[in-house]
Amino acid sequence: MVARVAGVFDEKLTGAIANSKILVVGAGGIGCEILKNLVLTGFPQIEIIDLDTIDVSNLNRQFLFHKEHVGKSKAQVAKDSALSFNPHVNIVAHHDSVISNDYGVSYFKQFNIVMNALDNRVARNHVNRMCLAANVPLIETGTAGYAGQVELIKKGLTQCYECQPKAPQKTFPGCTIRNTPSEPIHCIVWAKHLFNQLFGEEDPDQDVSPDTADPEAAGNAGASALSSEGNAAGNIERKSTRTWAAETNYDPEKLFSKLFGDDIRYLLSMENLWKKRRPPTPLSWDNLPGKDDPPTQHSGLPDQRVWSVHECAQVFAASCIALQAELKGHPEGDHLVWDKDDKSAMDFVTACANIRAHIFNIPLKSRFEIKSMAGNIIPAIATANAIVAGLAVLRAQSILTGEIESCTSVYLRPKVNHRGQLFVPERTLTAPNPKCYVCAPKPEVALACNIKQLTLKDLTTAFKDGLNMQAPDATVEGKGLVVLSSEPGETDHNNHKTLEEIGLNDGCALLVDDFLQNYEVRVRLQQEDDEKSWRLVTDPNEPMPAPKDDKPANGANGSDEPKPGPSRSRDDSDSDMEIVEEDDGGEPIVKPPKRRRTEMSDEIVELC
Amino acid sequence: MVENNEVELSEAEAEQYDRQIRLWGLESQKRLRASKVLIIGLSGLGAETAKNIILSGVKSVCLLDNEKLKEIDLYSQFLAPSDKIGENRAEASLQRAKALNPMVDITTETKSVDDLPDSFFTNFDIVCATGLKQEQLERINNICRDNNKKFLCGDVWGTFGYMFADLVDHEYSEEIVQHKAVKRGPDDTEKNARETVSITVKRRAIYVPLQNALSADWTKPELRSRLRRGDPSYFVMKILLRFRDEYNRNPDPAKRKADTEILLRMRDELVKELSLPVGFVSDALLTNVFGIVSGAAAVVGGVIAQEVVKAMSQREPPHNNMFFFNPIKCVGFVELYGQ
Repeated sequence: MVARVAGVFDEKLTGAIANSKILVVGAGGIGCEILKNLVLTGFPQIEIIDLDTIDVSNLNRQFLFHKEHVGKSKAQVAKDSALSFNPHVNIVAHHDSVISNDYGVSYFKQFNIVMNALDNRVARNHVNRMCLAANVPLIETGTAGYAGQVELIKKGLTQCYECQPKAPQKTFPGCTIRNTPSEPIHCIVWAKHLFNQLFGEEDPDQDVSPDTADPEAAGNAGASALSSEGNAAGNIERKSTRTWAAETNYDPEKLFSKLFGDDIRYLLSMENLWKKRRPPTPLSWDNLPGKDDPPTQHSGLPDQRVWSVHECAQVFAASCIALQAELKGHPEGDHLVWDKDDKSAMDFVTACANIRAHIFNIPLKSRFEIKSMAGNIIPAIATANAIVAGLAVLRAQSILTGEIESCTSVYLRPKVNHRGQLFVPERTLTAPNPKCYVCAPKPEVALACNIKQLTLKDLTTAFKDGLNMQAPDATVEGKGLVVLSSEPGETDHNNHKTLEEIGLNDGCALLVDDFLQNYEVRVRLQQEDDEKSWRLVTDPNEPMPAPKDDKPANGANGSDEPKPGPSRSRDDSDSDMEIVEEDDGGEPIVKPPKRRRTEMSDEIVELC
Repeated sequence: MVENNEVELSEAEAEQYDRQIRLWGLESQKRLRASKVLIIGLSGLGAETAKNIILSGVKSVCLLDNEKLKEIDLYSQFLAPSDKIGENRAEASLQRAKALNPMVDITTETKSVDDLPDSFFTNFDIVCATGLKQEQLERINNICRDNNKKFLCGDVWGTFGYMFADLVDHEYSEEIVQHKAVKRGPDDTEKNARETVSITVKRRAIYVPLQNALSADWTKPELRSRLRRGDPSYFVMKILLRFRDEYNRNPDPAKRKADTEILLRMRDELVKELSLPVGFVSDALLTNVFGIVSGAAAVVGGVIAQEVVKAMSQREPPHNNMFFFNPIKCVGFVELYGQ
């Protein structure tokens, strides 16, 4: 019951569509568009997965959703809306994360094609592995602003999503964040950390107090007066920021005086830091710039007006009180989660980032701009999503008629290239990277770390964050000794032991596998005395980039947004960006097209 | 020229359009909000174009169509419900069009363009036409030109599509991002922070009318040299527009075989007429031109709507003056014809 009107497609395609079953992962901007195209074209069996709910800011492009749907399941509403276009197709909607035991290899195997319409790397990595394991063609899509791309991933035929090492996440040294910020983003990161210290999940890596272990400040006379307070790690032994704040009952004035007065004075005492930098200026609550200023004339959105420091302090006070009240409403021990769309949380970060920026003589930003940076907002428009989804479904049609070899990657450019092309197809499929630690026949990777220091817990983190595994199991090659087990409790007692302590040494190999992903990789340990954390090495000449991958901004599977197309690199975006140097189709190419990906998402703080 | 609307955006607008304001800026959004758009032809392509334009947050959209909704429309026309087959396509699309964005004023017009006076078309800032004959397109284009209104047209046949734009004399601003090193602090010499500075440049583009673009002289060397690039999309468009003019309809899926033969014959005639290399316009491009395939309508409708956004917001360089989507190569490109 596909072809409502015979003759629109030739018989071959009509038949192929009639017998097809498609999985769409993500019901956001691209997902809505893909679903619409599939349903209208008459694809009879479609499943769609999305764990997200509908937000007002989706409505400028996710056209299957209307205002009355805000807060509802994207997958479910997308299904209902799409069925109204063609009630004769069968859609199964899952309001769920695709990263789940429920969607194993056998689940993926039932589909002819999987279409990704995701907004984050974690879910993309996962679906990539599932499709490799199930040997199902995957159409990977993404947009960012005007740009976008469609890419086919097929085991053995093309490179996989993880064949090319991703560029490192944008990171900031912890000492820059804590001691010597020089750009607005440093203050924004600090403010988000402060939010977590006060109201969110406390993370020792997100300390906001002055860092006395800053190598630049070493041997600092100014700090010596306070050194009696220092502990072995160099940090001052104090109460946690949260405990201290709770004891003052989150008194905004006291918090302000500590964070923007005392702590800054302490930083000033670390004189080495300010020999070549402009020193910060501590603030006092009673005498803030802008207090007596008349309100400035402002055209534009209210959020686009930059607040005075005095206003920031007012907002700081109000948001502290609101957030404290919110925290009190939670059960004991529970915490708030920072969300750019939560008014108080966003107000708090804007105010704190700007107050700190003022102290360090950094330009202040509007709430609107800070929201983009703090929330990693990727601009998104209906047209780019429509184009990318349209191309993706046309590619799906070609795959169904056996023309998979012709399905090269296509890039939607923000502006036409020198040949006048707006959609730029690659000339050939890109072959798999034989050294890929995911899709190679026998995946292998080296883990550079200090075996004397790295704990088993760190090893789990390396497998999860570095190798994108969900539930890793590890055994020692040749010995069968179980090092890590995904069964809860089985190896937890070893968590704090170092690799050396459990008998691992340089050059020894672990077989690490993830049952859910049907993925196994051989990991060789490589001793490096200087390595503070860990690092993956696929090729001695081409080290893998930074280890840590932050949590996706909007949950594990979601909407549109990127891993988008070839465009200028943008310093102002934290999106997943892919930059592709395209080959010039007009000239004979001597070398294969060069590709480099520079992806960025959430900020990471490095250890100093 | 669209007047800049000085009234500030409401909170609801700022919230709903947040992700696009972050891309094209508040000024563009205000200009969009002052724009009146006419969409002619509520086929799948018209529906795709309308959807994107309505979502962008223009002031008003008028849906014009005098045709009845047919079953074949349902392959790509998602604004009209299937139980409204036989009703006017514009009216059948109204309810869903309104639901896309209640902040946009949507109206319908069910007369044929031939029955509407010139003055009707000048009520709008921009006209997007699809499904019309060449003569009708040229008439509307000329009305728009004479009144300094923007004109776009386009079509999708099967998986192939094109767009033409006549923005007359168009002024726009283009943002250029520059990087510069900045100094902070007195002796901050090493590793200066880099700041991106965007400067806005004013530019101007001059367009030609549709009749010039459609009667491009292929004997001229500058056009001849384009043949080396090897894309025959311009000729495919010419053949399909001729078919529509001659038979007063589009190629019909129910007559797939017969119509393909007609198209191939028309191709041979055009090849002779313009002395094109034999085999330049392959059969492949003319054999899948039946109905409107949803994916292609999304692609071309996306491009047309983006050009409307660019034209109305006067931001970023719009395409001058033809866009083609060649589905065989999956390439989309822009070329200037008729200058």
